[in-house]
Amino acid sequence: MKKLYIISSISLLVAFFTMCNKASMVDESAYDERLSGGSSTVFDATSKAFGHAFDGLNNRDAQVHELGDGAFGQTFVAAPALINSGLGPVFNNVSCISCHHNDGKGTPTAGFVNSSLLFRLSIPGTDVNGGPLAIPNFGGQLQDVAIFGKQAEVNMSISYTDIPFTYTSGETVTLRKPTYTVTNSYLPLPANYLISPRLAPPVFGLGLLQNIPEQTILSFVDKNDANNDGITGKANFVYNAHTHKTELGRFGLKASAPTLQIQVAGAYNQDMGITSYVFPKESSFGQSQSDNINDDPELADSILDATIFYTKTLAVPARRNVTSPYVIQGKQLFMQMNCSGCHKPNLQTGVDLNFAALNNQRIQPFTDLLLHDMGNDLADGRPDYLATGNEWRTAPLWGIGLFAKTNGTPFYLHDGRARTIEEAILWHGGEAQKSKGKYTQLSKADRTKLISFLQSL
Amino acid sequence: MKKIKVLIVSISFLCVMSCKKNEDAPSVDFATLKTTVLADFSSKVAVTIYLDLDNAATSLNTAIQNLNTNTTEANLTAAKTAWKNMRNFWEQSESFLFGPVEDNDYDPNMDTWPTDYVQLDSMLTSTNALSLADIQSATLSLRGYHPIEYIIFGNHGNRAAADITARQKIYMLSLSQDLANTCHALYLSWTSAPTNFAQQLTTAGVSSTVYAKKQEAYLAMVEAMIAICEEVGEGKMKEPFDAQNPAIVESPYSGNSTTDFKNNIVGVQNVYLCKYGSNSGKGLKDLVASKNLSLDNKLQNQITAAINSFDNITAYYEVAIINQKVQCQQTMAALATLKATLENELKPFIIQYIQD
Repeated sequence: MKKLYIISSISLLVAFFTMCNKASMVDESAYDERLSGGSSTVFDATSKAFGHAFDGLNNRDAQVHELGDGAFGQTFVAAPALINSGLGPVFNNVSCISCHHNDGKGTPTAGFVNSSLLFRLSIPGTDVNGGPLAIPNFGGQLQDVAIFGKQAEVNMSISYTDIPFTYTSGETVTLRKPTYTVTNSYLPLPANYLISPRLAPPVFGLGLLQNIPEQTILSFVDKNDANNDGITGKANFVYNAHTHKTELGRFGLKASAPTLQIQVAGAYNQDMGITSYVFPKESSFGQSQSDNINDDPELADSILDATIFYTKTLAVPARRNVTSPYVIQGKQLFMQMNCSGCHKPNLQTGVDLNFAALNNQRIQPFTDLLLHDMGNDLADGRPDYLATGNEWRTAPLWGIGLFAKTNGTPFYLHDGRARTIEEAILWHGGEAQKSKGKYTQLSKADRTKLISFLQSL
Repeated sequence: MKKIKVLIVSISFLCVMSCKKNEDAPSVDFATLKTTVLADFSSKVAVTIYLDLDNAATSLNTAIQNLNTNTTEANLTAAKTAWKNMRNFWEQSESFLFGPVEDNDYDPNMDTWPTDYVQLDSMLTSTNALSLADIQSATLSLRGYHPIEYIIFGNHGNRAAADITARQKIYMLSLSQDLANTCHALYLSWTSAPTNFAQQLTTAGVSSTVYAKKQEAYLAMVEAMIAICEEVGEGKMKEPFDAQNPAIVESPYSGNSTTDFKNNIVGVQNVYLCKYGSNSGKGLKDLVASKNLSLDNKLQNQITAAINSFDNITAYYEVAIINQKVQCQQTMAALATLKATLENELKPFIIQYIQD
């Protein structure tokens, strides 16, 4: 009888603790891996995958989103005009959609109608707000197109050099390294100018990224590499031209934009030459080609706000093939090789009582939104606030498996030099060197599994 | 008695077998249908429309050349007719805006709105040669349908042949040649290497490098149908309607806006029924009807209702948004209904029944 009591007691204890255990943590497998963007993840893997609004927006919000959707596709024309007035006089492209094809990534050419590549510009040093030092008569970005009768600030010529790469197992890949040459400068550029190529990134899921609590992002910073994984991570703190405060940078390829408002209004201003209440001065203000038309701000406040709202409420596409053994093993490799050290799979958004879709969502963006040294091969050599010339913000990987669908020909990395995900991995260096090294040691079969996983995002 | 037992067993067996056969028969058909529908959509609808567009672009180019050589009212009318004829095919093709038309930017290269009057005027008054190369490298709003429309139609078609300037003539020649080149490239992108998109679509789930599964190809078709309903109902019609701003309306010079909108939805019907001109084949309707007849009826009725509703808008659309508000709203409502059915019923249908 005594034995029975002991056995029963032990069983009870085991059962009790097991239950406690279960109650205190949710098994990873309990989550639906497909839901990259939380409860409003959208199930569409076609070319339109990046262009869906959050489900369940109320009527007013749906209407504002639609208004923003329309604005995102509007082509601007030279001032004065009845609608969409104010293009240029110097600019990079004529509409948001011209660069962000299908709300996604674009083509790494510059100065053509379908080009999605632009170049930030500065000289060494910082401005009064700690940002890059703009160049007189050029500003902080090269506008390589102009309205008829004006001259583009420059033309950019892009050439590529093939760089062969051989795996330890013998297979070879050809990488291409870009060289950018400035030609036809409308005025002489100073000899010490610095340029940074930036390919337009996808614009979905940005509301979710904006709602990641600041302390979550800062908790990923490992300044002294305490865990000795070779990854430090650094937050960019940047000037917000609207609030006039220094804030955590989240958006842009070097995290130099603190909010969607600054990112979107900045793109209107610098990429298209459209002034708004956030940036009321022309990108060419003070330059010889400035239009000097008294029409600023050219963009109605409501249209800017609707476009910001549009980018905030674009849903994230669901993952595909998550039950495929290849994909599952690929994810294990991704974790084992510590790609996840920067490309954080799971983040939790903060509270947003206005939007259920943004509120307290478990999302899988595969980014930590921090800056990392990516090595000399990817460096642009141009500091941007706290980001050095070697540092880039961890690119969110959600949606990368759909680039071929949304873009026709897919391009990867900050300047679109990589034509495949494999090439993109092989360009990783700096803090990612260890992980890249492990990748190159994998068997061909395992590399394929990793790529299958990335294609499922 | 034994014989009776044998008989009963035999009959039962037969019944069971026949039941089984009845179940099997449609599923075999459905499997074949899944391949046929993609092939028929490609050859009987998409490629045929793009060929018609290509030919219509050549005709417009010829008409513009004739107008240039002999600037008579008759030749201007012929050019206007050719423009509208071409527009007819293009707008129908917008119900399947996926593949090369978006990947290669054929759409923005030929159909960017609004017209940029400031740049247009400064280009016309400049010494620019206005050659084909100049147009090809010009900003999008100086290329394609709408600058041609502006030159040959004027405001609501009031352009007189004698009013077309010498510089406008040079410009329109390059514009129509550029348009013809774009349309030809679009047609070739579906029919020949390197893209051969018709083949990519037809071989979805087999050897296609674009569509690893048939389901992906079908969803591309359905998403494009949804997108055009949204574009017309929530964009092209709604934006000027909400803003009560006639200046936002696309294609105002020719007064063709409502026809354009209607043709977009006729395009949806073409895709759904796999019917275009004298061509017909197996379409989405056949897939749907074989599993869910009521959904097929619903879709056909809603498409027809949406198309017919445009006929109630009798004024120019930029006028109708002011004085035919109810009719405009009815059409937008019909489009919203159709879009909802495509999104909430046709798309799940595809996901449920086409998994390979």
